[in-house]
Amino acid sequence: MITSIAIALFVVSSLCAMIRVIRGPGLADRVIALDVALVALMGAIATKAASTGSTTYLPIVAVVAIVGFTATIVMTRFLEQGSGS
Amino acid sequence: MNPVSSALILVGSVLAVLAGVGLLRFDSAAARFHSAGKASPIAFLFVAIGAAPEVGLFAAQLAVAAVALVLTLPAATHLLFRATHRTSSSAYLRDDALTRDRISQASKETQP
Repeated sequence: MITSIAIALFVVSSLCAMIRVIRGPGLADRVIALDVALVALMGAIATKAASTGSTTYLPIVAVVAIVGFTATIVMTRFLEQGSGS
Repeated sequence: MNPVSSALILVGSVLAVLAGVGLLRFDSAAARFHSAGKASPIAFLFVAIGAAPEVGLFAAQLAVAAVALVLTLPAATHLLFRATHRTSSSAYLRDDALTRDRISQASKETQP
């Protein structure tokens, strides 16, 4: 029950982020909205692992936490060179 | 799940929803970055603390993920906002909503 509520809330969060990705006036809004959607995905995976006790998907959480940062930094470099806005 | 874990996971998911709603509803770019960069690492921190007792030794992976996220996401948001501030128009940033603009002050001081 608690697991279903928590995962539904994570889905709501990533839907809000997706609406911002579609509507967002600038590139930076889209990048930060994708970050929020990624955090919601990580939270949903951790919640599922906690409720079922299966740890198969937990490495995804660790890898995404480290790799998502580099994606944002690359987009920052791209913005500062003036190619997008 | 034990009740404490359930409560922590629920608090984390509510914080994630608050981050998403803030990202969607705020009308200035600074406020949107603020909501996304602060609420989402805290949300994942709560979820990781709540999930850690349920997965045994695999809690180490959750700890690595939580530490990486809390260290890097605010820094990445800061860099992204600085890049936006340097390149975007003031209409997009809504400069009039800011009470103090320390990035502009610092760049004026270094470039006389």
